[in-house]
Amino acid sequence: MRTVTATDGRLLARIIHLAHRFGCTYTSVASQRAGAAYRIEFAFAGPGDALRRLDAQITKLLDDDRETME
Amino acid sequence: MHGRRTGAAIVLDTLENLGVETVFGYPGGAIMPLYDALYDHRLAHVLVRHEAAAVFAASGYARSTGRTGVCVATSGPGATNLITGIVDALMDNVPLVALTGQVRTAVMGTDAFQEVDVAAITHQVTKRNIVVRSIDQIEPALREAFSLASGSRPGPVLVDLPTDVLRALVPSEHLDPRVESSSPRAKPQAEPALLDAAIAALATAERPVVIVGGGARWSGATEVFRSFAARAGAPIVATLHGLGAAYPGDPAFLGMLGMHGWKRANHAVAKADVIFALGMRFDDRVTGDPSKFAPNARTIVHADIDRSEFNKVVPAQITLHGDLRETLVALDHRLARVALPSFAQWRAQACAPHERLPCDDTRDDHLSATDFLDALFAALPADAIVSTDVGQHQMWAAQRVRASHPQHFLTSGGLGSMGFGLPAAIGAQVAHPGRTVVAIVGDGGFQMSMAELATLRRHDLPVKIVLLDNRNLGMVRQWQELFYNARYSATALPDNPEFTTIARAYGVEARLVDHANAVDAAIARMIESSGPMLLHCACYPHENVWPIIPSGKGVDDLLEALPA
Repeated sequence: MRTVTATDGRLLARIIHLAHRFGCTYTSVASQRAGAAYRIEFAFAGPGDALRRLDAQITKLLDDDRETME
Repeated sequence: MHGRRTGAAIVLDTLENLGVETVFGYPGGAIMPLYDALYDHRLAHVLVRHEAAAVFAASGYARSTGRTGVCVATSGPGATNLITGIVDALMDNVPLVALTGQVRTAVMGTDAFQEVDVAAITHQVTKRNIVVRSIDQIEPALREAFSLASGSRPGPVLVDLPTDVLRALVPSEHLDPRVESSSPRAKPQAEPALLDAAIAALATAERPVVIVGGGARWSGATEVFRSFAARAGAPIVATLHGLGAAYPGDPAFLGMLGMHGWKRANHAVAKADVIFALGMRFDDRVTGDPSKFAPNARTIVHADIDRSEFNKVVPAQITLHGDLRETLVALDHRLARVALPSFAQWRAQACAPHERLPCDDTRDDHLSATDFLDALFAALPADAIVSTDVGQHQMWAAQRVRASHPQHFLTSGGLGSMGFGLPAAIGAQVAHPGRTVVAIVGDGGFQMSMAELATLRRHDLPVKIVLLDNRNLGMVRQWQELFYNARYSATALPDNPEFTTIARAYGVEARLVDHANAVDAAIARMIESSGPMLLHCACYPHENVWPIIPSGKGVDDLLEALPA
């Protein structure tokens, strides 16, 4: 389970699309409003290489989102 | 409306206060309030003939200046016509802000005329998109968009503007039109210990190679890169987007790397024991089969602004996460205090100064596209800006171009978007009215954007178009010849139009070049021409791009001619 904070609540949809693209499935997803941001929890299952690529893409999305927060 | 301002006026004033001088666009229903405000506004507008050209022109403007490009389109088809260019900007890290009209907020979701959820469509392909829902959100949304587009790793941001928001009125005193530019966000800086480790790796190297990528352009690192490279003394190779970072005449520069790169560049990387990969992302056109890439490298130092690039394709032993310019300043500073071993012998071995690009012999007295480009690049002024479309001519140009700065060579790399070349040149010419701007295009790509001849004429833009016409979709034809048993499916274009006639119909001077002995005079005439001009080069149809490392293969599989 990974927990992240994002200003853009739509990030969750983007992550799920990416997981689908990489052939992964989500085993758990939850999102809650947390002040001005969103607290998102998710867990994915899939081939190791795909999960590694997914993780890198999520990192990139969060870095972009973090620019918005700064 | 005395004493009151519309949302549209606020958009334009905000753009102006953010430093925007020119926007590229095409009007339509939902965006009409913005065009009404443009009617008597100081902001310059370049009317293109298709929205795809607006976004590519904005991209060309950005690529040639480093500043954020801006394009405008209406809702629905106007917005969807921007998508390819937006993805192109995402893949090539181009700072771009796309403004789209949108149906009224009250009818969103009713399948209104020209309604499309462009925010949803572009969600996966923008750094961010913003739907502006009220007039007071306009200025912060635009400020945010520009900050994000040019921040850290640049990219596209879309701002969707419902027509009722554009038409809304607000008392002038309620809004301060003077937008202060947001202060630059702090960029990550490479860790000092890792910088030291990178220098230590170089100091113990025997066969180091420096690979420079597009990060040099976007971080403004060209000068410090050259200083670093000179101190390092290692052979230099460039990715497609790194061309221009090294001095074109630098004897240590081996040329472009990758699928259609120079043999010496690929071999140097294959032999290297230490690699500095600077502002590049190990694209598959660079690496081929990643498991065969740089097999002798014991240390790869990867410097990039985007940490998600590290170990994505090729594992790196040392990662320098930060703005490339700042990273190179730190490395250069350290190098100035270190005595490196001489790499002269390795450099001499790697540089292979007598290597020539392999070419096909043309037949039947046909014009050779590669010979033409050799003559063109020899004749162009040093500060000329060259754009390309996508295909064989793009790779021939990348192999030969003598760009003295990354902003002098504009090409669609990551997405490989045909139709890019001419509108990108339009954007560059708008940004640099006094410079020679040349669009090198093929007959396939040109026919995706040739309506922009009208844009050249309308705005009096002296873009020079070099059309290398081989009456084929040449790169696909080449792959069919090499990898699909010469089954030429849908690649022959024997029905091409009379391009010179078309250009003249748009009021653009045009000449046909079909023999080698006419090349030099035609190029000279084109460069001297004060207006736009098309050189239609009727080329040998079966000339291929050599060398080629077939997709998914390694440097040992490099081909320099058709297999016997």
